[in-house]
Amino acid sequence: MTPRLQREGGKKAALRRALWVALAIAAVAATLAMRGPRHEARDWAAVYSRRRYYDPVDLKLSPHGRRLYVACEGRNEVLAINTASRRVIAAIPVGRRPKALALSPGGRRLFVANAWSGAISQIDTRALQVTRTLPAGWGVEGMAADRTGHYLYAANPLGNDISVIDLASGRETTRLAAGHFPEFAARLRGSWIGISNLLAQPAPPDTPPSSQLTLINAATRQVRWQVAIPGAVQMRHIAQTPPRFGGYLLIPFLQPHNLIPLIELRRDWYASNGLAIVQLRGRRAPRVREVLLDELDRAFANGYGAAVAPHTPWALITASGANQVAILNLERLHRLLQSPDADELARRLDAAPQFVARRLPTGRDPTAVAASPNGHFAYVANRADDTISVIDLAGLRNAGLIRLGAQRPLTARRRGQQLFFSALHSQDHEIACASCHPYEGFEDGLVWSFETPRLGRDVVENKTLLAIRGTSPFKWNGLNPNLATQDGPRTAMYIFRSQGFSPVQVRDLVAFINARPLPPNPHLAPGGLNPEQARGRALFFRTRTNTGQIIPLHDRCYYCHAPLTHFTSRVLMNVGTATRFDDTGAFKVPSLEGIYMRPPYLHNGEAQTLEEIWTRFNPRDRHGITSDMNKVQLNELIAYLDTL
Amino acid sequence: MKPHLPSVAARTISPRAAARLRVGLLAFTLLAAAAAAQTPPLYSRWINYTPANGFPRGEVYCVAIAGPRVWAGTEHGLALIENGRLRKVFTRADGLAAYAIMSLAVDPNTGDLWIGGLGGLSRYSAGKFINYTVLSSGLANDLVYSVAVRGKYVWAATAAGVSRLNTWTHSWRIFSVVGKPSAPFEEPWAYALAIGPKKAYIGLWGGGVVVYDLRRKTWRPYLDPDGAPEIVLYRNQGLISNMVSSLTHGAESNAFWAGTYFGLSGYDGARWHNYMRQDSGLASNFINGVALQGRRVWAATQRGLSEFDPGARVWVTYRPANWRALDAGKAARPQRGEILITGPGGHPRRLETATSLAHNYILNLAFQGNDIWVATAAGLSHGFAAPARRILYAHPNRVHRHPARAAYARQTRH
Repeated sequence: MTPRLQREGGKKAALRRALWVALAIAAVAATLAMRGPRHEARDWAAVYSRRRYYDPVDLKLSPHGRRLYVACEGRNEVLAINTASRRVIAAIPVGRRPKALALSPGGRRLFVANAWSGAISQIDTRALQVTRTLPAGWGVEGMAADRTGHYLYAANPLGNDISVIDLASGRETTRLAAGHFPEFAARLRGSWIGISNLLAQPAPPDTPPSSQLTLINAATRQVRWQVAIPGAVQMRHIAQTPPRFGGYLLIPFLQPHNLIPLIELRRDWYASNGLAIVQLRGRRAPRVREVLLDELDRAFANGYGAAVAPHTPWALITASGANQVAILNLERLHRLLQSPDADELARRLDAAPQFVARRLPTGRDPTAVAASPNGHFAYVANRADDTISVIDLAGLRNAGLIRLGAQRPLTARRRGQQLFFSALHSQDHEIACASCHPYEGFEDGLVWSFETPRLGRDVVENKTLLAIRGTSPFKWNGLNPNLATQDGPRTAMYIFRSQGFSPVQVRDLVAFINARPLPPNPHLAPGGLNPEQARGRALFFRTRTNTGQIIPLHDRCYYCHAPLTHFTSRVLMNVGTATRFDDTGAFKVPSLEGIYMRPPYLHNGEAQTLEEIWTRFNPRDRHGITSDMNKVQLNELIAYLDTL
Repeated sequence: MKPHLPSVAARTISPRAAARLRVGLLAFTLLAAAAAAQTPPLYSRWINYTPANGFPRGEVYCVAIAGPRVWAGTEHGLALIENGRLRKVFTRADGLAAYAIMSLAVDPNTGDLWIGGLGGLSRYSAGKFINYTVLSSGLANDLVYSVAVRGKYVWAATAAGVSRLNTWTHSWRIFSVVGKPSAPFEEPWAYALAIGPKKAYIGLWGGGVVVYDLRRKTWRPYLDPDGAPEIVLYRNQGLISNMVSSLTHGAESNAFWAGTYFGLSGYDGARWHNYMRQDSGLASNFINGVALQGRRVWAATQRGLSEFDPGARVWVTYRPANWRALDAGKAARPQRGEILITGPGGHPRRLETATSLAHNYILNLAFQGNDIWVATAAGLSHGFAAPARRILYAHPNRVHRHPARAAYARQTRH
């Protein structure tokens, strides 16, 4: 080797060495940077959490009224606020998606329903710490402790039942049957616990919707009454008026007009908003009446929270779509309900001015409302603003705003969230996206008559917005190529009957909708599929019938419900489900993700359960070859579908 | 002569004696209570609910008690009796899945009533029916002959196997000859159910009794060893017949009673105890229902309602005195009642009562405190226990004014 070559070789070796040294230094630096001091890691967590919104969704005041507890579903926290200073004094981490709060009778224990954890956090209100976690059912939300503080009742919307939890042992003892999607609970006078339902009871698609209030006798821990609320859906918080004002239960609701062809409506009137008023009558069945909170020229869209202010004649009802709180004069309402034509109030748009004393503006998407024990103030949680409105009940005016944290720049999703819950973009401010897609983008479980001038034709089931990203085109007829088309001109023309959203707003709304996740699936155990579900999966992917015949490709489950594309092939298919009331035979293949939580099924909502898709509406094996399956196999197939 | 009475001072006793007296009184009371607790009541007065007083016509298949409420499953719907009054008869028009109600079970936790019948399974909760049929749910078949509740599970015996619903997860499981893993059923037609804390007892039409261990998930079949329904070659060596119509389980693990169409079988976990009309006080070998009341077993037969006390080895049978005429269709209604008391000696003593069961063809029974409710082919009967019966057993040598009590006492002294 020549010296030059040696020199060159030496230079290269030196370069390699230098490179290795530099790499080693970089690796050490990176390792150190990744380890970092502990406070630095916490700072990053804080930075991350600061980017998340609070989304206050429920409120409870301590018995003395000096402390306000706020469930913040966006940050998985419960905030404690000093009502005198109006400052946050503690932030208590809890489970995923805290949706509801309940206090024990003495106020020593605060229960937090963590909907996505399927568990309840118990907080010691003196130490402001979580002391234990209680079991709960599927998607647990509304809760109420009985008067003795021995039992806690928790509504499970995804299980359609109510958990009864023994607070001494911390064990769930019973699950009581409830209506469809029970979501809100309240402790009532006497030994009653009330549970209201978000969605209508399952029924044939051509019948008017009817919702349900479940009344539990806490003395026996059994359901005493299942009260039908005709024409109503989306019942939410329950408040009870004092005996001198009738002792009624007030429950905000929405009356959908889904059986009327919407094209026939000259203006709007998709839905009315009002109150179910339930009167408990001892051993006799409760009496139900309804009043509208809409007026001739303005709607009270999406009633949500309800509270009665002690020592006053006031009840407060929030409207998450109207960004308002209505203050009701209970004395006038009681008098009105005693009038001979009280049963007509459900249809009277001139009724509300007779008992609504004041309508006050709130922040965006007002949800829960709570009144102080002395009746001086009320507090409204504004979910899409991260604020709490303070209302002076002496002057019936806004008396301040509690900001839950530093103001942050609004992301596109946040702006989309504010648009999604707001009815201010529709004619007469009557309807919001959330009106038909409650549960933050779910579906209302109803069939609607859209875009057809003919009565009773093309009636289709409403579809969920949860986990719809990547499942376009949309609508049952597949005519919407993307969400922007649906949320822009179509919504403006057919639903809002207004200018609708601007292009920028549509972009924000699409960003919000595309980010709507499904709740964790309770059918799926952490360890994966159980043997029955695994056998069901084998049936889903089977290529031969029980007799060994090859199933044609287009008749296999996975052909249309392709797993790689959210269990939908995203095309129109004719599976023989069209009826003489449909103008087309082919419908967009729906995604199967979260299918367990969204009956009814098929395009027109005819199938009340998954079983009925094949036992009643697949007589010629066009919706997959299933007639060779025995009942055990069908159960296994459905057990698998429930896990998707 | 007037007896001498001690003075008040003389009657004063020491604290120790008083304590002894208290202990003695307590022991006597406990002994008397124990004796009374073992005392079986006799039902000598009956009130019948028949079409004559608004009750649905036809057979009453089952009866269940929920506190003050009495539910009766009939050929034409579900009847509710409260405080002795017929409140309502629910039919399919009211939302029931089935037209004929074959079985009822009350969930002690929720208070809900589960209703099995010809047409499916229903849950009655606070005035509303929730239905489960083969078309709309995971139920194996719409012919539901028996329903039972244990914890969060509801079991239904159907014509195509046994279905089990987990009411918390809403998932179904079918135990039958099809599916994997299949159940060791000789026949899928399940007729009877009894669910204990550890085991599920399943009675199959022609397939004997199959016991499912709930923890180990293992099966054990019990079959008639001779396999012939008409004969019993091996007495007390196995189930008396494979045609099992009804089941009830005992407090002891693995113990159960099976009513068959050819006699009554009891299994105590080690030995079989079989009874037929020919060699016992059983009213008939054709048994529609069995029930346990403490240690005593009741059999609803086609010729009356029989009660057997294994400890005292005494049988008591209740039926209308004119049961033969009723059975042959020659009489429209029962007249006086008949009580047959058969002791170990085998000679029955016959007593008559002024009132009677509605019919001799008995299908089912349930207890409401001291009262008994009996489902018959011609109505529902409410039986009242003879009052003050405890005295009879506390003092067996006393003269009894009630002839039925006296007869029973004589038989027990054999």
